[in-house]
Amino acid sequence: MTRRRTGRALLAGGLLLGTLLATGCGVRPSAVITGRPAVSGPAQGVGLYLLAQGELVLVLRPATGDSAPANNLALLAAGPEVNERRQGLTSEVPAGLDPVTVTSAADQSGGLTVRTNTAARALSENAVDQIVCTVADAAAQTGFTNSSTPVTIVGPDGARPPQRCPIS
Amino acid sequence: MTFWRPVAAQVSGLRVRLLLAFALLGITTTAVVASGSYVQARTVILQQAQDAAVMSLTDQLTKVYPIAQLPPTQDELELLAQRLSDRESFAVVVYRDMRAQGGSALADPLTPELRQQVRDGDIAWQRVSLAGEPALLIGTQLALDRPDGTSRPSGVEVYSVRNLVPEQQSIDQLATRAWLTGGLSLLLAVLLALLSARGVLRPVRDLGRAARRLGEGDLSTRLTVRGVDELADVARTFNDTAGTLERQVGELRRMESDARRFVADVSHELRTPLAAMTAVTDVLDEEAEHLPGDAGRAARLVSQETQNLTQLVNDLIEVSRFDSGTARLALDDVDVAAAVTATLRIRGWADRVRADLPSGVVARLDPRRLDVIVANLVANAFRHGAEPVSVRLSADPDWVTIEVADQGPGLDPEVLPHVFDRLYKADTARSRSEGSGLGLAISWENARLHRHGERRGALVAGNGPGGGAVFTLRLPRETTDPGGAR
Repeated sequence: MTRRRTGRALLAGGLLLGTLLATGCGVRPSAVITGRPAVSGPAQGVGLYLLAQGELVLVLRPATGDSAPANNLALLAAGPEVNERRQGLTSEVPAGLDPVTVTSAADQSGGLTVRTNTAARALSENAVDQIVCTVADAAAQTGFTNSSTPVTIVGPDGARPPQRCPIS
Repeated sequence: MTFWRPVAAQVSGLRVRLLLAFALLGITTTAVVASGSYVQARTVILQQAQDAAVMSLTDQLTKVYPIAQLPPTQDELELLAQRLSDRESFAVVVYRDMRAQGGSALADPLTPELRQQVRDGDIAWQRVSLAGEPALLIGTQLALDRPDGTSRPSGVEVYSVRNLVPEQQSIDQLATRAWLTGGLSLLLAVLLALLSARGVLRPVRDLGRAARRLGEGDLSTRLTVRGVDELADVARTFNDTAGTLERQVGELRRMESDARRFVADVSHELRTPLAAMTAVTDVLDEEAEHLPGDAGRAARLVSQETQNLTQLVNDLIEVSRFDSGTARLALDDVDVAAAVTATLRIRGWADRVRADLPSGVVARLDPRRLDVIVANLVANAFRHGAEPVSVRLSADPDWVTIEVADQGPGLDPEVLPHVFDRLYKADTARSRSEGSGLGLAISWENARLHRHGERRGALVAGNGPGGGAVFTLRLPRETTDPGGAR
């Protein structure tokens, strides 16, 4: 009886000790620990969205004057610059996008409308994303709207349904 | 089994059990406390180091802004990596396929899961083992503010790789201290266990010793009562018990000695009137032949019974001497064969007894008592056994042995253990035998009175192979007088 009780106590003690030892000594590798959102700061210049291997990539160029949404779209239509092209950046926005006008809806939720002379329905998905994100960013930069405003592209062949920039 | 029992007793002994219990308690407590505080301290140390590193990295990164150009050139990335590297850490800056590392030749310390988390837009960190040393990886993207409060990713990821060896060292130090504390507390527990075992075991040992002494007959044994605990209670109870026992045994002894003294006194008191009666019966004996019929028979009967009574009283006096321890040996160098022959001749048995007495056996003993013993045994053989009665003497360097045998029916096995009892009558039908009933008892006492060192005289009753009782007397050849005590 006594021996069995002693045995049980020993077992319990051993288990406890084992558990504690299993916790390990020293500095153990850990899983990824997540903290606050990423470091963020101000940017200067004109923000455009180009493509790199089919992905949207933000490009900052030194400001050249007015950073109205329509100007930014004109820069986008002009395509990547030499150094950008050297780094593998491309654009699917046709050069014929310019001239464009960007109008804001009367109410805040109405979103932005981009009017162009090229066929809006013929634009590739990537081109649409480029346009939507660049316009939304530029509009947000000027303080008209926020960056997740839906954008409607209207061409001579009709209008595309309103779309939001996939990059939040 | 028999081999393990002492070991098991040792292991399950009070001392070992106490020691084990204390050690177990000490180990458990220390393990729990030390490891608990160790784990906590480690967590605190690591958390502080991590928080400080993250803080320092974010502080440094705020100086990178504003960002004016994207995509960055390789040179810009290199510059940034260099700026963010210092003595304790180095930076890795990644932009899409481009990568710059400030310092350290390590190939790629970054883990895929960390990169994924960083790409998802959070500051993330992870402890890893780099080339056997613990390191902290911290990563963040450089995001760009929008006026509306949200931010957009720039695609530039900054990682800081920080060595955790100093933290590891302080944690190791903690561990060392925890082990040390554990060892010390174990030592302390063992010491305490030994102390308390001593405190418990000493009274127990004392108690055991006292009980043994009591068992050996030292009734005056008492324990010193210390303290007021349970063991003191036990000691007190022991003392009470021993006291009661001593009192009662004393009472019994007093009563017994009173009874013996009474017998002795009565015997002595009876001697004087018996002497007078003997004188009278002597006269009566002489006159008996002249007395007619019944009167003559009565006179002879009175004379005979008076003789028996005198014999009984003399035997009682002898026995009371043995009981009081006043019996003394009168030692002499005796030729045993001659002494036995004399005994038989004096009593007129020389012709009736078949004696086998080799001469030349000399022993130091009390001749009177030898005479009493032999006479008693032979008389007994005549009285209860059947002739022929034989007396055989033999001797070796240590012992003298005399065997008295008869050819009677022998001793009943039920009688055998009581043969030497006082006033024991083997044959109840013959309740009025000629003997006093003390003869064999006196012979037995006489035999035992002879002793030399460890050797002690003995009288043993048994049955011979051919039937008939055999009484064997063994006396040491050298007897020393012990000085009166039995």
